[in-house]
Amino acid sequence: MNRMAAVALNTFKETIRDRVLLVIVVFALAMIVAALWLASISLGETARMMQDFGLVAVTAFGVIVAVFVAGTLVRKEVEKRTVFVVFSKPVRRGEFITGKFLGLSLTMAVVLAGMGAFLFLLTWLVAGVSSWVLLAATGLVYLQVLVVIAVTIFFSTFSSALLASVLGICVFAAGQLSHNVLSLSRLGDSALLKGLSWVIYLLIPNFSAVDIKPGVVGEATAAWDDIALWSGYLAAYAMVALVIATLVFNRREF
Amino acid sequence: MGEGVSGGWANKDSGRERYAVAGDGMLPLETTVARPSGRYEERMETEKGQLSQKAVAVRELRKTVAVGFRRRKVEILRGTSFAVNEGDVFGMLGPNGAGKTTALKIILGLMRPDAGAIDLGVARAAVGYLPENPYFYDYLSGRELLQFCGRLFGLPERVRRERAARLLAQVGLEEAADRQLRRYSKGMLQRIGIAQALINDPHLVFLDEPMTGLDPLGRVEVKRIIQGLREQGRTVLFNSHILADVEELCTRVAIMRAGTVVWEGAVAEAKPPDGGNLEDFFIAAVSA
Amino acid sequence: MRRVFVIVALLAGLAGVAAFQLTQRHVTNADARVFVPSSRFYLDFSPSFRTTIADAYWLSTVQYYGEHLKSDARFDSLGAMLDLVTELSPRFVRAYQFGAYALLDAGEGQKAYGLLQRGWRRNPDAWQLAAAAGMLVYMYGEGETKVQIAADWYRQAAAVAGSPDYVSRLAATLLQKGGERDKAITMWAQVYAEGDEYARQKAVAALDELLPARCDERIAALAALDVPMTPDRRAELSAALLRD
Repeated sequence: MNRMAAVALNTFKETIRDRVLLVIVVFALAMIVAALWLASISLGETARMMQDFGLVAVTAFGVIVAVFVAGTLVRKEVEKRTVFVVFSKPVRRGEFITGKFLGLSLTMAVVLAGMGAFLFLLTWLVAGVSSWVLLAATGLVYLQVLVVIAVTIFFSTFSSALLASVLGICVFAAGQLSHNVLSLSRLGDSALLKGLSWVIYLLIPNFSAVDIKPGVVGEATAAWDDIALWSGYLAAYAMVALVIATLVFNRREF
Repeated sequence: MGEGVSGGWANKDSGRERYAVAGDGMLPLETTVARPSGRYEERMETEKGQLSQKAVAVRELRKTVAVGFRRRKVEILRGTSFAVNEGDVFGMLGPNGAGKTTALKIILGLMRPDAGAIDLGVARAAVGYLPENPYFYDYLSGRELLQFCGRLFGLPERVRRERAARLLAQVGLEEAADRQLRRYSKGMLQRIGIAQALINDPHLVFLDEPMTGLDPLGRVEVKRIIQGLREQGRTVLFNSHILADVEELCTRVAIMRAGTVVWEGAVAEAKPPDGGNLEDFFIAAVSA
Repeated sequence: MRRVFVIVALLAGLAGVAAFQLTQRHVTNADARVFVPSSRFYLDFSPSFRTTIADAYWLSTVQYYGEHLKSDARFDSLGAMLDLVTELSPRFVRAYQFGAYALLDAGEGQKAYGLLQRGWRRNPDAWQLAAAAGMLVYMYGEGETKVQIAADWYRQAAAVAGSPDYVSRLAATLLQKGGERDKAITMWAQVYAEGDEYARQKAVAALDELLPARCDERIAALAALDVPMTPDRRAELSAALLRD
C-alpha cells in the first residue's frame, strides 16, 4: 500500500506541476466570455444556458486533459527509463499502474473541482441561480473522467501515447452514445445485429446513464437510485480496466 | 505466489520482511531454475540462517530481443555465465553491445531470460541499482527522489529521513538537495543516482557505468564510495569500459564479448603471460 | 503539455466558431427557410444530449426570430424550430411562452395555441402557460364561445398553487359583461410581468393604447395595477409608458 501511495504521490506531483491547473484558468476565462454572450442572446434563460453549456465545457476540458495526460503516464516512464528506477525495487506492476491512476485521479479531482466551483459561482453571480445539482453533476463528470483515465492507461500499456489518448476519447464518445447503441439493437430483426449491438453496449461504459444535465436545468428529476447503481458499475468498469492493464503490463520487459 | 512468470517480486513482503532479516545478517536463498526446453520459471526456496557463498551466480543465460521497427531478432546473450562472491568488487568489462547491461537487467528482474539460471544470494529488497545514464523524475528534488525510493522499499519515515540526509551528505549534494533534478548537472545526477542505489542499505549493489559524465573530482568521490562499500562488507558489481577504474577497484573481473563471458577471474590474474596490463589482456580477449 | 494546450485551444476555437454559426442566420430574401431536422432524429440520443441540442436550437430560434423581426417579418421555419425545441425539452416552459407570442407575430395563431396546449399538458404547474392560452383565446380568438374558453383557461391557471391572485380574479370577472378594457389591461400587464423582452415590447404597445392618454390618469391607472411584478419591472413599465 505504501508503495502504491508513493507512486500515486509521485504521479500527483508530476501531473499537477505540469501546469495542468492552467486548464482551470483557461476554462474560467472562456466561461466568462461565454456567459456574457449567452446572457445577451438567451432571452432570460441565462442560468439554464450557462449550466447546460457550462457542464458540456467542463466535461470536454476535463476529458481532453485527462486523456492526454493519461496516455503519457506509463509511456513517459518507459521512454525516459525511469521504470528502471522503480522496478529494480520491490514494486509490483499492479501497484505501479494503480498508483499512476490514483495520482492522476487526484490531480483531475482538483481540476474538476476548480471548474465546477467556478461554474457554480459564475452562474450564481450572473444569473442569480445556485443549484447544488450542478455540483453533483460535476462529481458525476469526474466519475466518467476516472473511467476514461483507466481505459486510456490500459491502452497505453501496449500502444503509443497518442493512440492511447485517441482511443480514450473514442471510448468516451462511445460511452456518451451508448444510449443510441441500445436503440440500434431494436432496429431490424437480424439476430446478428442485435447480438452485436448488445456486445458493444456491454463493452462500452454507459456514460449517458450518469449524465444528469437534464436534472440540473430542470428538464427532468434525477433518479438517484439508478445513478448510484450505474456509478457503482462505472467504478467496477474502471477497476477491471486497471486489472487488465496490469496483466498486460506484467508481460512487459524493460 | 505473486508475479509468477513476470520475473517480478515473488514475495510481496520482500520490502519489509526481507529488509529486517537482512539487518540480522540472515539472508534467504532465492533460486531460479530453467526448464531444458527454455521456458522460464521462478521458484522460491527459503533456507533461513544460511548465507550463500555466491552473491550472484548466472548460468547459461540466453536472451533474444526484437529490435527496431522491423522487429529484427538480435541474440544478445548467448550463454552467459559468471559468479560473484560475497564481498567481491566485481567488474564487468566488454565492448558495447556485449550484453553487460542486459545481463544486469535480467538479474534485477527487469527482463526475463529465454533460458538459463540465476542464483541470487540476497533478497531483491537488499539490492541497490544505479542505471546507466540515469534519468530521474526531473520535477522532484534530490531529497524527494530519495524519499520516493525509500518508500518503494517500504522504509519507515524516520529511517527514510535519516538515510536520505546521510546519503546526501555522503555524495556531496547537501546544498542541492532541495533543488529540482532538472537543474542538476550530469555529475550531480550520477551522484544522486548512487544515493538512491544505497537508500535501502543494500547488501548487493549494481552500478551500470557509474563513472560516465563525472569530472575527475566526481570520479574520485565515486571511487571512494565504492571502496567504502567494500569495506562495509557489501558486494559490488559494476559495468564499465574504463579499464583503469576496474583495475584499481575490482577484485574480480568478467570480460564479455558478443553475449558470452570469455574470461572470468581475479583481477590480479588478468594480465597477459608475457607482461602487460589489463588493457592488453582485455584487447586480447575480445579480439580473439 | 504544450500539445494539450494546442488541442484545447483548437477545440475551444472550433466550439466558438460552431456556436457563432449556430446563432447566425444568413438571411436571403429569396428563401427564408432554414433546415430544421425532425425531432425523431434526436430522440434516440440520451436525455442529456437532447437537452443540450434543444438549448442550442433555442438560441438559434431566438436569433432567427430577432433577425426576421427586423428584416422581412417572415418566420417560415419558426414553427418547426419551436416544435423541435419543445419535443427535445418538453419542460422548457420559456420556449412555449416565447413561442406562442412569436408565432402570433408570424400569423400562426393556431400553431401558437397548439403550442401552449402541448406545453400545458406537459407542465401542469406552469400557470403562465394556461394564462397565456386564456389571453390568446380572448384577444385573438373568434366565435361566441371564446370568452367561455378563455375563462376556463384562467380557471385552470388559478387552480395551480402559487399562481397570483389576479389570475383567479380574471377567471371570475371574464364572464361578466363590461369592464373589457380593464380585463385587457390586466392581461397585458401579466404578459409584461412574466414575459421576455419581445413579449414586453408587445405588452407596452398594447398598454399604450389601452391606458388613458393623459399623464396623471395614466399614472393613477398604473398605480392601480394589481398585477404583482418586481420593482425593476414596474419601474421599466412606468418609464416606457410615461415617456411623454
